[in-house]
Amino acid sequence: MLEILLNHYPVLIKGLTTTLVVSLSAIALGLVLGILLAFGLTSQSRLVRWPCGLYRSFWRGTPILLQLLLVYYLLPEIGIEVAPITAAILTLTLNTAAFQSEIFRSGIAHIPAGQIEAARMAGISAWQTRRRIVMPQVFRLTLPPLTNEIITILKNSSLVSVIAVTELMRVSEQIASRTFQPLETYLAAAVLYLAVNLVLARISAHLERRMAGGLATE
Amino acid sequence: MPTADTIAPRAIVEAHGISKRFGDLEVLSDIDFRLDSSEVVCVIGPSGSGKSTLLRCLAFLEPYDNGSVYIDGQLLGYDQRGGMRVRAGERRIDEVRAPVGMVFQHFHLWPHRTALENVTEALRLVNGLSRRDAEAEGMAMLERVGLAERAGHFPESLSGGQKQRVAIARALAMKPRVMLFDEPTSALDPELVGEVLDVMKQLAADGMTMVIVTHEMGFAANVSNRVVFMDQGQVVESGPPSILFRQPRSARLKQFLNTWRERHID
Amino acid sequence: MFDFALLWEARELILQGLWNTVWICFLGCLVALSLGLVLAALRLSNPRLFGYPVACYVELCRGTPLLVLLFLLYYGGPSIGIRLDAEIAGVTGIGLYGAGYFAEIYRGGFKSIPKGQLEAARMLGISRWHALTRIQIPQMLRLIVPPGTNQLIILVKESALISIISVDDLTKNATTIVNQTFSVIEPYLAVALLYWMIIELIARGGYALEKRLANRQPRHVTPKGDPAHAHG
Repeated sequence: MLEILLNHYPVLIKGLTTTLVVSLSAIALGLVLGILLAFGLTSQSRLVRWPCGLYRSFWRGTPILLQLLLVYYLLPEIGIEVAPITAAILTLTLNTAAFQSEIFRSGIAHIPAGQIEAARMAGISAWQTRRRIVMPQVFRLTLPPLTNEIITILKNSSLVSVIAVTELMRVSEQIASRTFQPLETYLAAAVLYLAVNLVLARISAHLERRMAGGLATE
Repeated sequence: MPTADTIAPRAIVEAHGISKRFGDLEVLSDIDFRLDSSEVVCVIGPSGSGKSTLLRCLAFLEPYDNGSVYIDGQLLGYDQRGGMRVRAGERRIDEVRAPVGMVFQHFHLWPHRTALENVTEALRLVNGLSRRDAEAEGMAMLERVGLAERAGHFPESLSGGQKQRVAIARALAMKPRVMLFDEPTSALDPELVGEVLDVMKQLAADGMTMVIVTHEMGFAANVSNRVVFMDQGQVVESGPPSILFRQPRSARLKQFLNTWRERHID
Repeated sequence: MFDFALLWEARELILQGLWNTVWICFLGCLVALSLGLVLAALRLSNPRLFGYPVACYVELCRGTPLLVLLFLLYYGGPSIGIRLDAEIAGVTGIGLYGAGYFAEIYRGGFKSIPKGQLEAARMLGISRWHALTRIQIPQMLRLIVPPGTNQLIILVKESALISIISVDDLTKNATTIVNQTFSVIEPYLAVALLYWMIIELIARGGYALEKRLANRQPRHVTPKGDPAHAHG
């Protein structure tokens, strides 16, 4: 396994970089979409709530591999030609947005209504209240489940190898078929995934400790 | 085994020089304690004074480090083997502890069992009673704490006061000779304290031997034979409530009582 | 428009895929549930000896993709003399991977029973064995049903990955139909619907079990969430 890591580290690092680019772009884009969806899910209007709920159900209720294949084959069908890596980021984004929306929805639900009433009574606009009072607290509350989501997406990004995106998993397959050492190669891949995820978990735990103060949960 | 002369006349519970540390913190230092039949002793003191730890050591829920605790003349928690003291087996601890019943601040009822099942569980598992006998006995105990009509309720649907009364019935069912109460009313809403104290008063009147860690000064003054005041892991003063509350000798007790009065007279 | 005839033509492939997905998931989850229990029991009974190894195993499952594990078993196995059929590799992969998660779920269930309840049992002379079987396990079962249901659902969704190691499961056969008919929407949507049905079935089963156990213990209100939508 060490031999594989030492002999092939340039391609492995390149694959790992692609893995990180794909996952982290999906997480970032999914964050924006997820927050909007969360607002939609907590909207007063049923006309807004219902489609958001349906979206969430589909993307959370079916295997992500199936979603990837659907997006990848469907886009050319309707006349949109995209690179595999674009289809990969798009699928992961649409998927994680659904999961993140649920995380944020539950976070928003945990903010005491009195705080929002107090802000409104002080003349702060609804949008300002969301941006400056609700969301900062929601980010702290949701850090642990968000970390889990980032790790899940990082793990799930391995399956974009099936549409020939040369991320870590795909690179490992190539090395395995060239060296005829599948066991060592995939062990090396496992170690790399594990290392990245452990580092992420550490960073998150550190952030959580730093933000622990000044949080009202009621 | 202790010999008769070391502990004569025989007390139900007797502790000699027990101490207990949690890491660097000495929570009990060199405590002597003695409880005779039909005595009602209240242990008072500021929070963190070690009174709950003392009670838990008397039940060996917390192993004490030095000294000895005797229940009915038998050393609790340790065996003497060739001059060495070793921790006793679980069976032996259960055997020595059998005459002791305990009531906790947070009740610790089993949430998946009804009030009656909470009371009958040990009767069946430990005493080997049949279901019918255990239930008859259990109902009698619930009756004694005034909760017979709640027998089929799960703890969740009982008030705090009712939960604590079920917990008392559960302990009584095993026919203990001593009952230890660890702040039995501290977790209750003020209006529910009375019903629990009434049950305890009745127990005292029936001649039950009791040790009660409590913040209820009125109860301590009216019901106990003796009050023990603890502070910083030591017994500072002890004596009949009439003397202890009226003529406190130590500065610490005076201050404790003053603080209590300031808080309660307004 | 949506072409049902196409699906009817391909019914055999769909049914074969459904059957393979179902039995492989069933056995895989069974392995995960039992192995997870063994791991949790080892860790709880002797934390000093087993605490660290089990914790490492859990981290391994959490930190590496199931796909890597499947490749290790299926392609890496032969180089140390372990040749598994793709289906068996699938069952083993799902089982080993899920066991790490279930070990944590069981442990969480045990840990959330207040220690005082056991002290109360001790004070009444109830033995450790009886405390375990009559007080801890019944409550633990009740507590682990919601997260356990979630985890089963995640495993079913992740089972789609076995198609990559050439098991003819729902996902693989859907792709086969796509390649034969050049229609994308019908096969994939039909199969998505079948996954959704399996998941809904598990979610309802979990909910019914939870309610049944709740009759014996009307406590621990579980936060209302939709278990059909766990991640995977």
